[in-house]
Amino acid sequence: MSVQPLPLAQGPPAEPDPGTAVIQTTALTKRYPGAVTALDALTVRVEPGITGLVGANGAGKSTLIKILLGLLQPTSGQAWVLGGDCLRDAERIRTLTGYMPEHDCLPPDVTATEFVTHLGRMSGLPPTAAKERAAESLRHVGLYEERYRQIGTYSTGMKQRVKLAQALVGDPRLLLLDEPTIGLDPAGRNSMLELISRIGAEFGISIVVASHLLGEIERICDHLVAIESGRLLRADTMTSMTQVSQVLLIEVDEGSDLLLAELGQRGLEPRAYQRALLVRLEDDGTYDTVRDAVADLGLPLNRLERRRRRVEELFRDEQEQGSETPEASHVG
Amino acid sequence: MSAETGVIHDIGYRRYTGRRLGRAQIIRALYWHSLRSAFGFGRGAKAKIVPVITFVVICLPAVVSAVSVARGNGRLVPYDTYTFQLRVVVMIIYIAAQAPELVSRDLRSHVLPLYFCRPLRRLDYPLAKLAAFITACLAMIEIPLLLLYIGTIAQSHGGSAIWQQTRALIPGLLVGLMWAVLLAAIGLALASLSGRRAYATGAIAIYFFLTYILAGILISVTQRNVVRAVAPPAGAPPGAPQKFEQVTQVATTGSHLSGLVSPFTTLDGVREWLGGTSPSLVPGVGRYGPLYGAMVLVLLAASLGGLFARYRKAGAL
Repeated sequence: MSVQPLPLAQGPPAEPDPGTAVIQTTALTKRYPGAVTALDALTVRVEPGITGLVGANGAGKSTLIKILLGLLQPTSGQAWVLGGDCLRDAERIRTLTGYMPEHDCLPPDVTATEFVTHLGRMSGLPPTAAKERAAESLRHVGLYEERYRQIGTYSTGMKQRVKLAQALVGDPRLLLLDEPTIGLDPAGRNSMLELISRIGAEFGISIVVASHLLGEIERICDHLVAIESGRLLRADTMTSMTQVSQVLLIEVDEGSDLLLAELGQRGLEPRAYQRALLVRLEDDGTYDTVRDAVADLGLPLNRLERRRRRVEELFRDEQEQGSETPEASHVG
Repeated sequence: MSAETGVIHDIGYRRYTGRRLGRAQIIRALYWHSLRSAFGFGRGAKAKIVPVITFVVICLPAVVSAVSVARGNGRLVPYDTYTFQLRVVVMIIYIAAQAPELVSRDLRSHVLPLYFCRPLRRLDYPLAKLAAFITACLAMIEIPLLLLYIGTIAQSHGGSAIWQQTRALIPGLLVGLMWAVLLAAIGLALASLSGRRAYATGAIAIYFFLTYILAGILISVTQRNVVRAVAPPAGAPPGAPQKFEQVTQVATTGSHLSGLVSPFTTLDGVREWLGGTSPSLVPGVGRYGPLYGAMVLVLLAASLGGLFARYRKAGAL
């Protein structure tokens, strides 16, 4: 057994080893002329898997994506994608990354097959491979016979699928999806999210999904990065975020007020939520306390359910508390 | 028919393990794609109408000349000017119709972000488009010249006759190259201003036609007419108005310079300055030949500058 050299002292990493991270930024800042700061010293690390990039419109999501693709120069700071520097290795990064823009980007008067094949060529595929992979990508996103029709005749949902197919055609290691569910009806959103989830799980492709609708993407993400005004609000795994606190929802057919008072006396700090009551779930003892309170009052218990707090609520709480400094933190 | 047929197997996602082309080869792929679309290939029948008609029309003089040569007459059309007026009109129509096909469509459908998120760099896109359109214009201009040449030498006897034709052809090809480069650059630069095809086509047609007509008007009004009095017919009453007839037109400085207004007359002026012998539309560039040469360079630089700036600024993805 050889003696392992001691690891070097870890100072603030000037050029941190991206390691397994898919994306890594340090103090990434982008200022536009006119003193608009789109990204403000953003330090974040994205691990393989599906990562939600959430923030309101104008939070800096699209700016971040453009810097990662080497399309925008950061004012300062550094960014790495798939182990490559965004400035020096832009060409390699763009070869290995698929990008689905937020806005409409499809010509109406060509067929999906022609369009995706051409973009496959532009991704560096030889002619035959581009044709094959275009057909495969379109099949994966669920376009079969329709792919021989002109894109102008497609529904919004089908167009979103073509946009996803063109991002997949070059066999990327990373997909950057900017608002993939925009403009879709609820059913369309669900199937798009399922598709993204499948691509992440079955195809082994890391995905960053930018969205302003947290509630929508939280169910397909392994990790979450929340940014606000170009600064990191929070980054963590989904599980650790939702486990932070759990809530028990109690619904009785009548006598909610009585129960509210009773639970308060038993030290549970309940609060009314619509027709039900919410209490913080500390441990299994909480269940017993609730059961006893309901039984003692003789109330008809309608529903007793453990609720995962939605990430949205977590962020809302944080914003209410306000002062947490957005520091470098790591996902995963 | 066995029970096996018709079963679809989901083979799942397959990684691509094959060769990946580099940036230079991607540019070449975009070049070919653009060149095909410059003639409407890979698109519907409607997209081929203008390229086919303009190509046929511009080849007609060469065909007519070949027939004339075959009947024992001489070559009808010079190599260096071909048929100037026809070429101007055909090229305006071709460029106005096809330059927007290459660049405006992509602007219109906001497809550029999909190019720029791939290995291509910003200026690779206009570069490939420009190279493709220059090639397309070159084909429009040079193929008729080659037809003219072939039609002529097919009836020539002896090496010296063929050599004579070849020596006349080469300057014609060089003039054609100059035309193709300048006109393609101007056409694409104007087309890239608008994503709306109709606007782009209109801008190109108006610019080319208007400047061409303007140059013609300026040339004619700046030339000095030399006239002489016509002797009054016998028996005319004294005091009858005297009649004049035009003897010739004399070029003035103004008419020498008028050709600079239009790219076509500018190109023709350069041809004359560099030793082209066929009769010219420009009333002699006089000692202003270098000015015509400089004008071609200025137009070219402005077009290329505009075109590349357009795509460098396309940062609004």
